[in-house]
Amino acid sequence: MKAGFFERYGSLLALILLFSIGAVWQRDFFLSPENLRNLLNQNAYIGIMAIGMTLVITVGAIDLSVGSLMALAAAVGLTVVNRQMGSGAGETQAVAVGALTALGLGTLLGVINGLLVTVGRIAPFIATLGGLVGYRSLTLVSAEGGEIRSASNTILPRVAKGGLPFPSLPDGSPLFTWATVLFLLTAFAVAFLLNRTRLGRHVVAVGANERAARYSAIATSRVKLASFAILGFLCGVAAFLQLARMNSVSTSGLGQLNELDAIAAVVIGGTSLAGGKGRVWGTVNGVLILGIINTLLVASGVSNYWQGLVKGVIILLAVLIQRGSNDR
Amino acid sequence: MLEVRHIARQFPAVRALDGVSLSFEPGRVHGLIGENGAGKSTLMKILSGIETPDEGEILLDGKPMVFRNPGEAMAQGVVMIHQELNLIEPLTVAENIFLGREPLKGPGIDRARQSAAAADALKKVQAEFSPEDLVSSLSLANKQLVEIAKAISHEAKVLIMDEPTAVLSDKEIRSLFALIRDLRSQGIAVIYISHILKEVLEVCDDISVLRDGKHVASIAAGDADAAKLASLMVGRELGDVYPAKSALPDVAPLLNVADLQVPNLVEGISFSLRPGEILGLAGLIGAGRTETAEAIMGLRPCTGKVQVDGKPVSAKGPKEAVEAGIAYVSEDRKALGLHLTLSTTENATLANLAHYANPVVDRAQEKAAVEGWVQKLGIRVGDVDAPVGSLSGGNQQKVSLAKWLDTKPKSLILDEPTRGVDVGAKREIYQLVNGLAAEGMACLLISSEMTELIGLCHRIIVMRQGRIAGELSGTEMTEENIMRLAAGVGA
Repeated sequence: MKAGFFERYGSLLALILLFSIGAVWQRDFFLSPENLRNLLNQNAYIGIMAIGMTLVITVGAIDLSVGSLMALAAAVGLTVVNRQMGSGAGETQAVAVGALTALGLGTLLGVINGLLVTVGRIAPFIATLGGLVGYRSLTLVSAEGGEIRSASNTILPRVAKGGLPFPSLPDGSPLFTWATVLFLLTAFAVAFLLNRTRLGRHVVAVGANERAARYSAIATSRVKLASFAILGFLCGVAAFLQLARMNSVSTSGLGQLNELDAIAAVVIGGTSLAGGKGRVWGTVNGVLILGIINTLLVASGVSNYWQGLVKGVIILLAVLIQRGSNDR
Repeated sequence: MLEVRHIARQFPAVRALDGVSLSFEPGRVHGLIGENGAGKSTLMKILSGIETPDEGEILLDGKPMVFRNPGEAMAQGVVMIHQELNLIEPLTVAENIFLGREPLKGPGIDRARQSAAAADALKKVQAEFSPEDLVSSLSLANKQLVEIAKAISHEAKVLIMDEPTAVLSDKEIRSLFALIRDLRSQGIAVIYISHILKEVLEVCDDISVLRDGKHVASIAAGDADAAKLASLMVGRELGDVYPAKSALPDVAPLLNVADLQVPNLVEGISFSLRPGEILGLAGLIGAGRTETAEAIMGLRPCTGKVQVDGKPVSAKGPKEAVEAGIAYVSEDRKALGLHLTLSTTENATLANLAHYANPVVDRAQEKAAVEGWVQKLGIRVGDVDAPVGSLSGGNQQKVSLAKWLDTKPKSLILDEPTRGVDVGAKREIYQLVNGLAAEGMACLLISSEMTELIGLCHRIIVMRQGRIAGELSGTEMTEENIMRLAAGVGA
């Protein structure tokens, strides 16, 4: 229907519009392959978390802990890499074990969030607010608030810089880094999960009307738990990408305010905060929209301090446009 | 004179109005009737500026009008009084009548003038309360008078009343009708919407019938009777409302419930239900009928035994109950029975999704199943992928039934299946339930409509305060007997 047009394609139109503005305004810089690669690569990790967040918001919950959770998974993951190498293991093996640790810990913390919400019957906002401060605290404890440096000098940088062999930049480096590839794969996988599978249908049903879902013999607790667990796992993926990209973990800085960026991307993408309606590709658009705004503001020399205001206005505009088309 | 010409309005799933032309003359009361979903409310919303038509025009005294909101309609003298009255309870009668157009004196409200003008309007509706009374202190009938007085003070030329007698006592209805006749003699065109044909015949001069969004007939009230109106509404002669009961096969019970207890709500309910049997569950509100059904379904913590085909059903949750072959169609269609924002398809397969998805949903198979139910149950739906909330009550109920029949239950619990459903759809639901029983389904029918229980059931259990007060069968099934047991009098 006409009314649903902005709701469905609004974020895509906004992305195209912003991209065009960038292409015209900062022509040489913005359309350069390096910039396009960086735009995708630098936002991939937040994108992966935002896609997981889409699932949790669609099920009618929210997760404020993702930034801290990711930081904790990254800190522990990198510590494991260093310990492995310290005890004489090969670098490849050390990185593999570290990656598995980050993924496993992310999933475990996601499950804990899910259990607090389902078994503990704590409102998601409160339960994950606990995680926001609690997981951050544990992260700080892991390195006395400082930075963890990586002992992996070849493998992790290679993971961060590598990517699809084609298409490549003039210097031979890939346009699509592994992070970008994982970001897009995650989007495909979660979009498929949400739109085509039984679990996805159940996520939408629970988010739209939890009681009616229970009356339809849906195990609502399990559906919510699964959503939080998937988000936790994806935070683990993001954690590994970040520790590889930085080849270090700043226990105080990593992941700060990521929860707000992730939620903002989801909302800009047209997913309803009330639950019951999720748009994974909208979230991808939302992530890129926020990324382009950042890039353009930096490139045009606008002070860092103004960036928050611009983001705030964009988020409000997105919600207003979607509400205008929804209420009719 | 208010006229509509070729009005059409399309909603995602249905064409709510399809080229309706009608005229409403001053000094006449025009009744508007039709089943739920026939398009009455949509037409009235268009006339009062709440909705805008996709096609067609509205003419007032020959001039084309566009009402973009209720304010614009009111300014032209077209005022609607909704079934749910729109008054601000903590304000006075006068303040409500002049809400949003208060007479001013300087920067403040001219209370004296407001009060006098309100008193004037109240006199015209023969109200016996003061303009300074708080609305919250008035009876429902008097609140309705405030709404009518408000309409009159807007110099209404056309007054639309939606089910105005729904909340009134007999005596209040009499004085409302006297008032309507009085308004008519003052040259106001009254549009009167009601389900109660007897009242429509009594108070209206002309009666128009809508069906499926189309205008099917307009007749003078003097030439009409209830049977004729009812058949115009459903589009055929109605015949018997209840189908003939099928004979009960002499077989072992399918569903056994023993000593079911829900703390404070259900105290020791036991019964058994045979395949092909329709067992009624009667009782007053709060007797524990819905709670009994929810306990059987595993939706409430309870103790006691539930067996299907001799095998115990663990009361862990609804999933176990569904797997054992029990289905429960909830009384609260909008909050519990359906996901209003999801599509007809998504709703119809939700309880049985494992059948279509393992784990990827087979959309072709899903679509085929839904189309099967649309045909079998006669669901009137434009687009099976549109939100189910846009369907009429009767069609929503059929989707809710489809959802549960799709689980292929052996035993079906129906909780107030015809609540908020119009005459035609009711009859279809009765036939469906009777047909299911004839095919061997064990049905438990919870209903507050005693005629429905008597017309459909083989036996009726009456509950009172969480316990079984008695069981009736054959000729003992009368409204008097049910009431006597339900209320706990006599006997």
